[in-house]
Amino acid sequence: MGIGWLVIATIFALAGGVFGWLSIRKGDTSPSAFFWMLGAFGAQLMALGWRGELRGQCPLNDVGEICLFLAWSMTFFYLVTGTTYRLSLLGTFSVPLVIVLQVIALVPGAFSDAPVRAESVDAWREFHAAFSVLSYGALALSAVAGFMFLVLNHRLKSHHFKGGLVHGMPSVHRLVTAMGRITLVGWIVLTVGVASGMKMETGEMNAHLLVATATWVLYAVLLGVYFVRGLPGRQLAWGVLVLFIVSLLVFAKL
Amino acid sequence: MKLVCVGLNHETAPIEVREKFALTEQGLDRETKALLEANDIGEGVVLSTCNRTEYYAVINGTGDVKTLEKWICDQREFSGNLEGLFYYHEARGAAEHLCRVASGMNSMVLGETEIFGQVKKAYQRSLEKGATKIVLNKLFQRAFGVGKKVRTQTGIQEGATSVAGASVELAEKVFGRLNGSTVMVIGAGEMSRQTAQALQSRGASSVIVTNRSFDRAVDLAEEIGGTAVPFDGWEDELEHVDVVIAATGAPHFVVKPRHIEAVRRKRKFRPLIMVDIAVPRDIDPKVGEIEEVYLYDIDTLQEMADQARKRREKQLLLCEDIIREEIDKASLPAVND
Repeated sequence: MGIGWLVIATIFALAGGVFGWLSIRKGDTSPSAFFWMLGAFGAQLMALGWRGELRGQCPLNDVGEICLFLAWSMTFFYLVTGTTYRLSLLGTFSVPLVIVLQVIALVPGAFSDAPVRAESVDAWREFHAAFSVLSYGALALSAVAGFMFLVLNHRLKSHHFKGGLVHGMPSVHRLVTAMGRITLVGWIVLTVGVASGMKMETGEMNAHLLVATATWVLYAVLLGVYFVRGLPGRQLAWGVLVLFIVSLLVFAKL
Repeated sequence: MKLVCVGLNHETAPIEVREKFALTEQGLDRETKALLEANDIGEGVVLSTCNRTEYYAVINGTGDVKTLEKWICDQREFSGNLEGLFYYHEARGAAEHLCRVASGMNSMVLGETEIFGQVKKAYQRSLEKGATKIVLNKLFQRAFGVGKKVRTQTGIQEGATSVAGASVELAEKVFGRLNGSTVMVIGAGEMSRQTAQALQSRGASSVIVTNRSFDRAVDLAEEIGGTAVPFDGWEDELEHVDVVIAATGAPHFVVKPRHIEAVRRKRKFRPLIMVDIAVPRDIDPKVGEIEEVYLYDIDTLQEMADQARKRREKQLLLCEDIIREEIDKASLPAVND
């Protein structure tokens, strides 16, 4: 079925987004987005399996595979944290990003038509790539939580309470806590990714690894300030949002 | 056999008159007994709350609502002007009225929930005294079902309709659950008490009260189970506080940005809700510009309460539909016969 799984995953994510926004408009917090995202997650796994089979290694070699892996990683962390922190709306807010990533992957040419099958596999390289992209799923999700915080914060500070958005959103406290913890999880996974990168066979510090290390340091500083000194929620939200977008843009440029 | 309801409430009678008809617990027992001994009354339930006194009765023979009204006035030895004082409902009208009352649609605060328990208690009293039989038993059971349905299927009780309730709603939007949170009350007036109690009812575990007159702070702290601190020491407490309620009579700002700036680092920039219900205001609006501070004044809270009331009013038609539908479906003697 190949790429068909990705189409199904995109349809599921789209349905999750539509039903999620309808719930917000009605002012309730229906868990429908969660179940659609669960369906999308299953289809993403099948699509990753298809690429993995073709590659004979972790499918992280072309734009399509990286976008697919990132979308899967985001969905995975949403499914874990959304229920843990009762952030039912996090799924709805994540959907646009998941869809964008999957649509990019669906653009003709994003997936290599004739992927080269790996003859030998450097385990450290595989670890580095997989954990780095996996960490970006968590970091993307914390950026989404940061965006949600900024929306809610703006509404509460400017006294705009009308509509279902404020009613359906998690509390400020819960969003700040979730941002801090999801970023911490992402950073820990990134630590594994960067450490694996240092052990790669080439042994050289390539540009990707350099940027990954710089990103790791910046997130470490942000988390250190937040957990040790404390940080207003708005600054933490901008921190996770800007760090995620800037580092992603730098990676895209490389 | 006629089902009737005769009553007065906050819309038809001033408080001086309502007081004459209000009944204590013992008074209700006596009234229920007397009602059953009256001529032609087969069954009866008397409901008495701070805003209403109502009699639901099954009249046998030739009597009607006017007979019951006269009996009530005789009991209370009331000889004043009766014009517009009482409202009357018969058969289906009485059944629909009871459903409205139980659903909070007839209350002073639209959609309030306390009335449901009060109606239940009134019915229970009559049941125990043997004052209800098939007609009122079936009617009240149906009304309780309708009351529950109205509350779960409509938005009649959604949103806070008071300043104190709106403060709680905002605090929950910031903190989620209020369990374990600390509230500081600056000013020991009635509004402070109401708001602090509303927050306590939702889980706030600790209340600090401060007031220029320390004695009044102590009195309020004792009343609500809080701790009083001298007025010149409230700034030291800010570090541990999650919600500040300011309601003093001061003609100038009591809380200024420098007070919050001084404790931001110690608080690790935790969110702080500040509710200013004083006029003139107690909290400098510039305090609201501090990132983790959520500042609301009386106008904002009042507007929230007004909007909630309007939303509840919009639900009334839906509630009426449910009541009609449920009474149509039921087989109630003296109502659908």
